Amino acid sequence: MGETTTQSSPIGARVPMVDAVDKVTGAGKYADDLTLPGMLVGKILHSPHAHARIRSMDTSAAERLPGVRAVVTGAETPVKYGILPVGHDETIFCVDKVRYIGDNVAAVAAESEAIAEHALRLIRVDYEVLPAYFDPEQSMQAETNLIHDDRPHNIEREYHHHFGNVEEGFAQADYIRQDRFDCPEVTHAALEPHSTLARYDAEDGTLTVWSSTQVPYYLKKTLAATLQMPEEKVRVIKPLVGGGFGGKSEVIPLELAAAVLARKAGAPVKITYTREEVFLANRGRPRQIVELKTGVTRQGKLTAVEARIIQDGGAYCGYGVVTILYSGQLLNAMYDIPNVKFDGYRVLTNKPACGAMRGHGTVNTRFAFEQQLNRIASVLGLDPVEIRRRNLLHPPCVTLNNLRVLSYGYPECIDRVVERSGWKEKYGKLPYGKGIGFAGSHYVSGAANPIIRSAMPQSTVNLSVDRQGGVTIFTGASEIGQGSDTVQVQVVAAELGLPLEQVRIVAADTARTPVDLGSYSSRVTFMAGNAAIAAARDAKRRMLQAVARAYGVAEEDLLMEGGRVLGRNGCPLSLTLAEAARLAAGPAGVLTARGSYNTPEESRGGTFKGAGVGPSPAYSYSAQAVEVTVDPETGRVTVDRIVVAHDCGKAINPMNVEGQVIGSVWMGLGQALQEVVDYENGRIKNAGLLEYRTASTLESPPVETILVESNDPEGPFGAKEAGEGSLAATIPALTHAIYDAVGVWIDTLPVTPERILRALQEKQQAEWKSPGTGARM
Amino acid sequence: MSLPSFEVVRPRTLEGALEELERHGPDAQMIAGGTDLVPSLKQGLFSPRVLVDLKGVRELDFIRFDREAGLELGALTTITRLAQSPVVAEYFPVLQAAAKTVASPLLRNMGTLGGNLCLDTRCLYYNQSAFWRESLGYCLKKEGTVCHVAPGSSVCWAVFSGDTAPALMTLAATVRLASPRGEREIPLRELYVNDGWVRLTKRHDEILTAVRIPLSSAGWKGTYKKLRIRNSIDYPLAGVAVAMRWASDGVCQDVRIALTAVNPAPRLVEAAARLKGKRYDPSLVDEVAHEAIRTAKPLRTSASTMEYRRHMVRVFVRRALNEVWANGPHC
Repeated sequence: MGETTTQSSPIGARVPMVDAVDKVTGAGKYADDLTLPGMLVGKILHSPHAHARIRSMDTSAAERLPGVRAVVTGAETPVKYGILPVGHDETIFCVDKVRYIGDNVAAVAAESEAIAEHALRLIRVDYEVLPAYFDPEQSMQAETNLIHDDRPHNIEREYHHHFGNVEEGFAQADYIRQDRFDCPEVTHAALEPHSTLARYDAEDGTLTVWSSTQVPYYLKKTLAATLQMPEEKVRVIKPLVGGGFGGKSEVIPLELAAAVLARKAGAPVKITYTREEVFLANRGRPRQIVELKTGVTRQGKLTAVEARIIQDGGAYCGYGVVTILYSGQLLNAMYDIPNVKFDGYRVLTNKPACGAMRGHGTVNTRFAFEQQLNRIASVLGLDPVEIRRRNLLHPPCVTLNNLRVLSYGYPECIDRVVERSGWKEKYGKLPYGKGIGFAGSHYVSGAANPIIRSAMPQSTVNLSVDRQGGVTIFTGASEIGQGSDTVQVQVVAAELGLPLEQVRIVAADTARTPVDLGSYSSRVTFMAGNAAIAAARDAKRRMLQAVARAYGVAEEDLLMEGGRVLGRNGCPLSLTLAEAARLAAGPAGVLTARGSYNTPEESRGGTFKGAGVGPSPAYSYSAQAVEVTVDPETGRVTVDRIVVAHDCGKAINPMNVEGQVIGSVWMGLGQALQEVVDYENGRIKNAGLLEYRTASTLESPPVETILVESNDPEGPFGAKEAGEGSLAATIPALTHAIYDAVGVWIDTLPVTPERILRALQEKQQAEWKSPGTGARM
Repeated sequence: MSLPSFEVVRPRTLEGALEELERHGPDAQMIAGGTDLVPSLKQGLFSPRVLVDLKGVRELDFIRFDREAGLELGALTTITRLAQSPVVAEYFPVLQAAAKTVASPLLRNMGTLGGNLCLDTRCLYYNQSAFWRESLGYCLKKEGTVCHVAPGSSVCWAVFSGDTAPALMTLAATVRLASPRGEREIPLRELYVNDGWVRLTKRHDEILTAVRIPLSSAGWKGTYKKLRIRNSIDYPLAGVAVAMRWASDGVCQDVRIALTAVNPAPRLVEAAARLKGKRYDPSLVDEVAHEAIRTAKPLRTSASTMEYRRHMVRVFVRRALNEVWANGPHC
């Protein structure tokens, strides 16, 4: 027998991210770190009005300013775009109207930032100010001065879904509850502000763009369309990205503005947003009003759910149609609900456009649903955990709205959290001011249907094995800090039986890497991971076939392990990977392999209007218990402990998964307690990280993560999503804990100390009026 | 957002710094830690031609404790040094408590005591970018005519948001102001004007060089309570400093209460005098806490509502008094 090295598999190994060292030492380059010779600085002129017609514009003074190399306006760039094929309502710069304070009016490329800023002040725009809409419920009543002429009543899109029969369902209910929830807008607050560097080569008409993006291929497509260039002349390269959370998951105006400026100026142009501009570009989680009605039997079995949801989308569609659909479609796939009705309205207002944000579309609906379920449990005298157990799905199954669920670790998540948190000893038993709350959530492992309908695979990977046995993965998948590169290296190393160090990765450069749709909808591990596995298997098959042929042995008697090709079943062969690779390279001299992933037909959902959003090859599940201390005199909440169990299918890298789960919980915590984009007449009053208050380390409690591995039959090594699904549950678990602590339910976010004090006062007044009623109703 | 262009001069002595200020007149502005000024420069709130960088004036960086003069703190003392000073911790606990709450560790390393005392007043309608303020039509404090938190007001309601000033006021601190005409020493409370635009009585050519706390304030029990949304980084939404001296029988001999972040100036609470000569009494504490609200006039200059900030002034005054007094020797 040849020598064998026993090495534990890289699957399930707690390995640091492959790009960690560069990030920690500062050697890694983000978009704003990049420079090119002769590079100019680009700056964008933003609208000071929420809604106005552009009567005329004079850029001549700006053009004459020494050091200014290009000025562009909407007249030169009239092609409409948008991330969704049904939502092409933006232009690089406004052509006829501005629709929010911060809308993009013109841009300047100059030899310095100061000159560019000076030039912006020299641009004269004559506006005719129009009435503006800031509140979605008022905006829906609009007859005149519409934000977009082709959107009556300022409704971007509405959906009316009815599965089963809710009338019958409510008729069977012993208890029906209706509540209204109001969740204001929050935003991603990624630490890296958006940045784009663009270079146009006039000689061969090629454009190269380095950008902080989650979606290089969509960016490439949009650049070609809006700049009216052939797509093959456009190259997009994604450098390191300092956090996305959805804020970089569609084309952002600066990406197009930099390219247009570079082409016009004949010199490379970089634009980096100020923090205020990041808020103006927005694409955050929209304000969502949920009117929710739920019916249950006395035993707590759900009979019907009806939701009327209004989302305040801001001035453009963006991902809006998808967001409103997620908010209704993912009422399902968590619990067994026999009858579901959903009326959803995506409404336009004169504010920065909302978009996709971690937990896209599901978070505020989940808050409403779980909070109402906890309220129902409390009225019926049921344990909040027990009411969930009575409404579980029984996979494999297909929901009423055609969502296919194969793996379902939610019951185990519940059990593990109950056990670890000490739920039974604590709920309802802690002293006044201390409380514990419970909730669950879920999320897709990638959207089953691509944004632009296509039969082509959603993820593709090329793989090369060089003559020394070094493996290089070429992937379109976009590392944005979530571990995309590391996961792909791990799965390829596992398939080929190699140490991680022997696998390199080249990612997200549209000229060098094959297509991947991007980092959104938690799709990368599942889809790019499966594509990488397929490519590795292709390479492995080629090598084993070549070795088998060369040595006259059966392919089945060979395996790859410890960086070698080894014989088994009595076959004494032992070759290095380099030897095998050279054999497989054959006369062509190169060994390349390829793999791809596309979602199975059965996972793509139904055929009704809007059925395309929500389906996923697999769903992650999360359960959480949050413990708080509430000071009833100040209303202040201290979060003492969070126990979270996340069903990620299989933790390919547990350290990374834990980081993702903790990060999700932390964002949920911020939304629950303190984050809000604060508008006054369409103007953001807190467009900065001092006044937009994400939690500091001092408000961040210990988060105990439990990883549940339900081994999805289609996931790579059984894996599902890990980066979003745990966010939503944090919010209702926290509000539930507040109820357990001081006996008030808060249905409006964020749960500020003032809201708690007000609720406590109202409760006290109600008790004075009707003494003797239950203190906790 | 780029900084406006300006010249930086770096005097090494107080005399040199005063000369620079005199030479450049209103075109000059002082900078020490820069934690307050630099973001404001980027937002276009100031456009000095010359920045006089005081960091090199080492004679202003000292902490001296003298049995006769009391405690003297140079204006360049960083907040971190102040918070970590054993003398401050032992004899002036209210000051240590306040210093520890300023901003974040990194900002405390840069920020100075002089800067914290001369902090510009803050308002959501003022601490905004040039783009933002222009789109709104500016405000009374800067380039405009309307106060957006109190339309019709002729004074600016931007709020003083320093943490160390109220603590120092409870210790009867004085500040020294140097100018080409010489030096004057005034009670700290007289440094402030309750108008967010006027802010300080310090003249443009004067440099705040030092703070002095009289020996008679040494050993006073004290604490500082700060309302904020995050437990780090944030400016106060309200702040209450309490310092008290009691006799061995628990009778309050002297007490001062000061508020910050609820007015354009930090202010002493007059009702504190009611506690003098009294033994600890929860209802008396409640009464003074209730009265303290009269001294607080917060408008919508920051996050949170006026009602809540006033409510919290009351809660904090009561809690602070209880903390320093209830565990006194009478127990």
